[in-house]
Amino acid sequence: MKRLTLLAPAAALALLSGCAMGGTGAAAPVELDPDATPTGEITVWSWDVAATALSRLADEFEAEHPGTSIEVVDVGYDNAYDKLSVGLQAGSGLPDVVTIETDRAPGYIAEFPTGLVDLTPVFAEHEAEFDPFKWSAHSDADGALEVVPWDSGTVGLFYRADYFEAAGVDPASLETWDDLIEAGERIKAETGHTLLSLDVATGGGFQMLLQQQGQGLFDERGDITVASPEAVEALTLLKTMNERGLLKNVKGWDGRVTSAKNGDSAVTPEAVWWIGTLLGDAPELAGTYGVTELPAFEEGGVRTSNSGGSGLAIPAQAENPDLAAAFIEYALADADHQASMMAEEGLFPSYLPALEDEYFSASQEYFGGQPVYELFAEQTAQIPSITFTTDNAEASDIVANAVVAAVLNGADPATVLQDAAEQIATATGREIAE
Amino acid sequence: MASTSLVLRERGGAETTRRRALGRRLQRPGAWFSLPAAVLLVVFFAYPLATSLWQSLHATAGGVTTWVGLEQYARLFEDPLVGKSLANAGMILVVQVPLMIGLAVGLAYLLNQAWLRFRGGFRLLVFLPAVTTLVAYAVVFRVMLATDGGAINQLIGLVGIAPVDWLNNEWWARVALIAAITWRWTGYNMVIILAGLQSIPAELYEAARIDGAGRWQTFTRVVLPQLRPVLIFTTVTSTIGALQLFDENWILTEGGPNDATLTPVLYLYKVGFRQFDFGYASAIAWLLVGITAVIAFVQFRLMREKP
Repeated sequence: MKRLTLLAPAAALALLSGCAMGGTGAAAPVELDPDATPTGEITVWSWDVAATALSRLADEFEAEHPGTSIEVVDVGYDNAYDKLSVGLQAGSGLPDVVTIETDRAPGYIAEFPTGLVDLTPVFAEHEAEFDPFKWSAHSDADGALEVVPWDSGTVGLFYRADYFEAAGVDPASLETWDDLIEAGERIKAETGHTLLSLDVATGGGFQMLLQQQGQGLFDERGDITVASPEAVEALTLLKTMNERGLLKNVKGWDGRVTSAKNGDSAVTPEAVWWIGTLLGDAPELAGTYGVTELPAFEEGGVRTSNSGGSGLAIPAQAENPDLAAAFIEYALADADHQASMMAEEGLFPSYLPALEDEYFSASQEYFGGQPVYELFAEQTAQIPSITFTTDNAEASDIVANAVVAAVLNGADPATVLQDAAEQIATATGREIAE
Repeated sequence: MASTSLVLRERGGAETTRRRALGRRLQRPGAWFSLPAAVLLVVFFAYPLATSLWQSLHATAGGVTTWVGLEQYARLFEDPLVGKSLANAGMILVVQVPLMIGLAVGLAYLLNQAWLRFRGGFRLLVFLPAVTTLVAYAVVFRVMLATDGGAINQLIGLVGIAPVDWLNNEWWARVALIAAITWRWTGYNMVIILAGLQSIPAELYEAARIDGAGRWQTFTRVVLPQLRPVLIFTTVTSTIGALQLFDENWILTEGGPNDATLTPVLYLYKVGFRQFDFGYASAIAWLLVGITAVIAFVQFRLMREKP
């Protein structure tokens, strides 16, 4: 569920005149009652296919629970977060349920500790049933769940089977990233195609490679791990690819989609939702694609990571939190409903029991009959968990600049990452991890 | 409001105290008519202004807001990104504003010539970019500037120039941004300068001709001095515009690559809405207010001085 972000300029300029209110409207914390009978009405904010999915399930919910009414509003991705930030800051103006993406969730949870309802009373019993990485990323420091995991961003390696074949590369032989680089050079020599297309300016997959090694930008203690050996290895990998002419640098979301559509590069390391993008934007490429596990950094290492995905949360200012919780449980903690969202809207469940559904073992025509969802289903429980802090947004910007410096300007990865770590330390007052 | 108060002061100023005058002023129906505007001004201007000032003196961490005095302002001086964003805005000022004003003066002068046919049509053509929405034109520019298959690279490819990585290279991204802003705002400034040109009395041109001034001398010795207030006005508004640049670089590059096109307002947005640091974002906003105020003050001084 990634989209190009344009912004309502008014929102930013409003800040110039200080439109965000001071204080957070501290009210008594909301206590969910797991035994409450849901009645009344709620409003839900979402966008895009997520809103489509929730509308469909809202109708079913209303039919099964007379006396309830659920209104799903598609607020649009472009200003969803501005509305959410301002609403949490002001303590008013938010609906009963909001959609938050996984990479944004930790920031909201940490920054507005009383802004979102603690969902533990209703959802604690489901903990073992969810993608463990999502669960931890969506919980606060004390382990209280505040955003219910919805769809996972389990990462695999999408590859152009036709290019691989032309170069005589067997995708099953790609154990490590080194193997892939070697294959990339052969593919380039044979077909002239680059290995992969990245948006380097935004950090180009660096954090995905970091999480694959079980690392975030910070460790559990909140110390900065941007200059760790794993980070240097991830950045060196990107730099090596670029030096050997295997990288194609593209701009933004639409640049990545266009590049895939044009068939520029041989592989795309991306989350399962990329399937929806391919189906929607490049239907003519059906039959040319295959999927395999992400190459590991060491033989036998982790072969997946996370990219994107999202969840649902209840703002503390919700007027009907019990019905909101009941609806979220109905939609997200239910194998049939989660599987239906996979089949109808292409949202890959974080709810593990849903992955047992036969849909996931079905062969996919687009991928030449390969049952690709099976691979993602297997890998979902393997996604390494990482720690987020309130400073992730700031650190991400600084790290993205380090990636640009190393990959595009040829700087030394260890040096730029050390500089980035020091810059983050100055900006946030945090320690650099040993 | 200003004009009514002036009239009042003239009529009753001498024999009444100011308070009495105020009382009398409120009895006039006119005062009540201005009340809606005053309420709007307080709600949408004074209150947010006060709130942002209050915010810039506080820090919020983990939902707890504490008074920090001038700490947020002290951070401004230690933050390399504040410097970088101001330097970027400064670079746009030094390069783009003279370029654009120069272009606008040239175009206005040309489109003010009596011998030119279809002047109205040409003026409209040059002014048209100014009516496009910021977001729409920035998106179009981003599409045209795409490295692969973007219209611009295809065009320069026709004359055998290798494709330029417009938005991924620090310097080209700046060039692209400056080109976009210039396209958007030149016509707007041209119209203002045109109005200035048309207010120059014909006698001056005649006098210049009688004194034997040629075309170029007439332009430099007569037209430009007469345009001085208009030029100062357009320069200052463009300067403030450059300081408040947001939409174009947000859409073209999101301030990248490597913060090469980060401007103060874009940085403010990132700090406030991405990092949830509204206190610090408000401090950045007030820094901008300060800089803008200084520029406006300089403008007034320049306007007052007679050449």
